[in-house]
Amino acid sequence: MSIINSFLDTMTALINESGFAGFFVDGGWKSIVMILVSFLFMYLAIAKGFEPLLLLPISFGMLLTNLPGAGLYHPDYWNYMEGVKEVSGTVNDHYIDYQQILQHGGLLDILYMGVKLQIYPPLIFLGIGAMTDFGPLIASPRSFLMGAAAQGGIFFTFIGAAVMGLSAADCASIAIIGGADGPTSIYVSSKLLTVNSSNNVGTIALAAYTYMALVPIIQPPIMKLLTTKKERSVVMGQLRQVSRLEKLIFPVLVTLIIALMIPSAAPLVGMLMFGNLLKESGVCDRLVKTAQNELMNIITIFLGVSVGATTQADKVLSIDFAKVMVLGVVAFSLGTACGVLLGKLMYVLTKGKVNPLIGSAGVSAVPMAARISQKVGQEEVPTNYLLMHAMGPNVAGVIGSAVAAGVLLAIVK
Amino acid sequence: MGYSLLYSAQTLANKSTIPPDRTDLDAGTVASVVITGISVVFIGLILLIICVTVYGKIFEALNKRSAEKAKAKLEASAAKKAEPAPAKPAVPEAPVVESGIDGETVAVIMAAISAMSAASGKKMVLKSVKTAKPQRSAWSAAGIMENTRPF
Repeated sequence: MSIINSFLDTMTALINESGFAGFFVDGGWKSIVMILVSFLFMYLAIAKGFEPLLLLPISFGMLLTNLPGAGLYHPDYWNYMEGVKEVSGTVNDHYIDYQQILQHGGLLDILYMGVKLQIYPPLIFLGIGAMTDFGPLIASPRSFLMGAAAQGGIFFTFIGAAVMGLSAADCASIAIIGGADGPTSIYVSSKLLTVNSSNNVGTIALAAYTYMALVPIIQPPIMKLLTTKKERSVVMGQLRQVSRLEKLIFPVLVTLIIALMIPSAAPLVGMLMFGNLLKESGVCDRLVKTAQNELMNIITIFLGVSVGATTQADKVLSIDFAKVMVLGVVAFSLGTACGVLLGKLMYVLTKGKVNPLIGSAGVSAVPMAARISQKVGQEEVPTNYLLMHAMGPNVAGVIGSAVAAGVLLAIVK
Repeated sequence: MGYSLLYSAQTLANKSTIPPDRTDLDAGTVASVVITGISVVFIGLILLIICVTVYGKIFEALNKRSAEKAKAKLEASAAKKAEPAPAKPAVPEAPVVESGIDGETVAVIMAAISAMSAASGKKMVLKSVKTAKPQRSAWSAAGIMENTRPF
């Protein structure tokens, strides 16, 4: 009899400790909903091809983090402690106990350190730099203007978020979605958002990557609405040839100017330009290949799965996440509109030599936004090739959004 | 002037820092964020436009000059070459072909050589075609290769 009793006791204890039991405790239903939400994002990534390289790791991270009892990620370890005196004597109001994380953290806690310590986004930028050809931008420097204008979406969205009564950190993190640049959004939100914020890195990243996947749907109607048929039909001349030395000087020059001007943009712009210099130097083939492929892929996996882990029920199943989604699409649309409007201005100033459609590529979703300019242009004139012209504003947008991120970080602190 | 603008933007940014948790953002603060943000982004990128345009112009001028020099050199050397050409008619001698080698083999060798000379840009001439003297067998050659590889 005692054997049966001890067997039953053990079984009951095992059942109570299992993850299944976790679904039935107070608030456990939220985990079930979140797991279902993760299935939705997996579906979007696999069946609909929504930025699968990031959305799939993010959604799987979301699944892992919401498994009761698995302990892969502990949100409470990441709370800032206020007024902690450091060894050096300075009082830190944003103190995170990394000792605790290293001692007791789960796998995703450890991986998330790369996000919180601002390591992954600059490394992704290294890879992007090693893949980017700034030739079209050097050949036509005026493209920088459109890359700058498209960042208007970021700052105008800041107004919208402030009107909704969100905190400064939330406003900046939501606004940066308008830069259409995933790593930059993660960079800014991981630096600014605190435990008191309504959002977290995961929800910002989810919104950013979802809308980046929706660029082909969001942009064309705005581009068509703001331009006339005549403007869309402008055929642009060929770009001049850019010499190797010019391409070599460019990354060094951009690093010097931007990093000296806005030091908080230095990690992103610096790594982007370092990757580009490696590529253009032509003497570091092995490093370039690693930055473009292996390193980029490894970081993408770490970044995706750990950012996904921060999407916990109370942050996603909230009205604030709905606000992020609404403001995110506003940010994207405004960015596109600002770029196109500046394109229109350039059309007027150059007496019809610039096709305003390339302005929308100023949002930095590379190379998707440039492809959209090409596609919408070809709908009017099938033989018009705007792609290379649109790549100028497109890569300028990457630099522009990194600068905008630096500005936001300089203001909100 | 660019520097002073930059400096004012920077000081504006420093003065109006907002703590992350602040929620009651008034219109003035928001307007200053928007104006500072947009102007700093534009100033930064306009600075880049100026630098890139300037060095682009310099390189364009340099490239033009070197292209003109190269063109002039090419023309000069072409003129030099053109003069002595009629004095020495280039009639290549027929290659000495050992008896027993058929014309087809010679044609194949000549075709290969002319393809190579066209690719490398050098003019090559086939002087003679001979049968090779018997050499080491493939096996003994492989043995020697294997033994001498470390050196």
